[in-house]
Amino acid sequence: MGTPLTVPLAGADRAGPGARQRPWLAALFRTRAAAFGTVVLAVVLATALFGRALAPYDPREVVARPYQPPSTQHWLGTNDIGQDIFSELLWGTRASLTVGLVAALAAVVVGTAVGVVAGLAGGWIDAVLMRATDVVLTLPFLPLAIVLAAFLGPSLGNTALVLALVIWARPARVVRSHALGIAGHAYVEAAHALGGGFGHVLRRHVVPAVLPLALSQFILAVSSAILAEASLAFLGLGDPIQKSWGSVLFYAQSRGAFLSGAWPWWVVPPGLLIALTVLGFALVGRSLEAVLLPRLRGR
Amino acid sequence: MAWYLGRVGQYGLVLLVAMTFNFALPRAMPGSPLRYLAGEDVGLLTPAQVADLRASYGLDRPLASQYVAYLGDAVRGAWGFSYQLGKPVAAAIRERLPWTLLLVGSSLLVATALGIVGGAIAAWRRGGRFDTAALSGAILVDALPTFWLGMLFVAAFAVSWRLLPVFGAYTPWGDRSGWPFALDVARHLVLPATTLTLASLSGTFLVMRYAMLDVLGQDYVRTARAKGLPERRVVLGHAVRNALLPVSTVVFLNLGFLVGGATVVETVFAYPGVGTLLYQAVLARDYPVLQGAFFMLTVSVLLANVLADAVYPLLDPRVRRGG
Repeated sequence: MGTPLTVPLAGADRAGPGARQRPWLAALFRTRAAAFGTVVLAVVLATALFGRALAPYDPREVVARPYQPPSTQHWLGTNDIGQDIFSELLWGTRASLTVGLVAALAAVVVGTAVGVVAGLAGGWIDAVLMRATDVVLTLPFLPLAIVLAAFLGPSLGNTALVLALVIWARPARVVRSHALGIAGHAYVEAAHALGGGFGHVLRRHVVPAVLPLALSQFILAVSSAILAEASLAFLGLGDPIQKSWGSVLFYAQSRGAFLSGAWPWWVVPPGLLIALTVLGFALVGRSLEAVLLPRLRGR
Repeated sequence: MAWYLGRVGQYGLVLLVAMTFNFALPRAMPGSPLRYLAGEDVGLLTPAQVADLRASYGLDRPLASQYVAYLGDAVRGAWGFSYQLGKPVAAAIRERLPWTLLLVGSSLLVATALGIVGGAIAAWRRGGRFDTAALSGAILVDALPTFWLGMLFVAAFAVSWRLLPVFGAYTPWGDRSGWPFALDVARHLVLPATTLTLASLSGTFLVMRYAMLDVLGQDYVRTARAKGLPERRVVLGHAVRNALLPVSTVVFLNLGFLVGGATVVETVFAYPGVGTLLYQAVLARDYPVLQGAFFMLTVSVLLANVLADAVYPLLDPRVRRGG
């Protein structure tokens, strides 16, 4: 499209640290959708922190007969070997959320570094880094992750590593185009002309201007990482020791939740949890993007 | 011309990276690569048998010559032997590929058509009831795990309504020829294709809507309206036509996502495509099949991109002139 992504952030930048924090908080409750996302995320975060303490049973233990429908003792019934599904989901929240956060953080740190260096350095460094980014973007995302995860072996740490390896390319692209815009600005050229070195320009001008973008990219990356983790776990590549939302669905699919008629309380709740969490991150991420980077909206 | 050469170079690079990745993975893992190439049972063999096997896989040669031989094999379609299925990987994939192409192709077609029409209407009536509903719908559907959406369809149709088949690509004991078979295949296709279409609809819709908004704000659209053209001709003749350009690139970018989505959707519906093969290979730790399926899916995505590059100049005369 014709509009180059030269977004001057100098204004937001010079207003000092206090002013930079307020749009941040405002973004969390700016619209009804953003407020909904914020509340959902707060609840999910609390569940991740305290869910294990609140769980009525240990989800690794057999506590009742298999395939029990919901009752006052077992709110979401029991699975094929008699574990409490409600407790499984409470425990799984921490695993799913941790994988999503860790993978997204690693991916965005790498992606931001690649994007900033490529955008500022230009020349052959830019060309090489962007070729590499395009290669990763062209490879089919999920099959690539499946092969990597199968070789590395199923564990939550490996899942996070695999997801970081396939997710970093998108933030790198976005951050690079932003860094390119900054590098072309008069105040950056002035800093160069006044004798500011590469490191100085990077620290003083580029990193502060790129950070808001990196933050919104991080939040969007969390939602895709949580979805991808669920897909990998569903395909049998989840950690066999740790329960996650995706692995509950894997067992539901492979152990006959449909044949037994247990799907309303075995299949529906974990999917809803994933969807709500991903939606929460997406809504908050969009709101942040709109506040911090108005011109990038609708990308 | 230079544009084409650049694209071809990029695709060649992706292909080389995919092959190098496949070559390096078994060899970079701790332990013997034989475990990944010939199966976990190699631990039960005598040392002499292991040495024989290593030689037959060329593992006794220097790494560089293994690499060159591997690239040649990969290009010729010699992707190893599946010790679980008892046949060459390429043969296993060839049986499955048509089903994946049918599923992905029909979903891509429907999702693109709906996305373009929906995006155009939403942008034309910006802020209207349809626009608001479609936008929130797109955000909502993007948050749903694709495989879970499929599972809900299975639950609704297999357990409750029994209107459409939810398992496989055709009725195993039925007639395999003529119109009844085609109808049977189409009925089996409906639910997986609907799932995949829903999951991939939002990408095209959002880009079309955005491109349309962009075009509708351009001077030539204002001119067209000012000179009294009927609204229908302004929208269809000027706006939609020009908004289609950015969409055409996104459609094929979407393909990588669709192929991944097909993997989980096929698994849910036990649809006999490459995705189900990938799933079975994961469960059986059948590494040659995993790698072969990944390679085949990469090649498919690249071929689709080549196709897009051939179509794009037809839509945009500027590229045709080499500008």
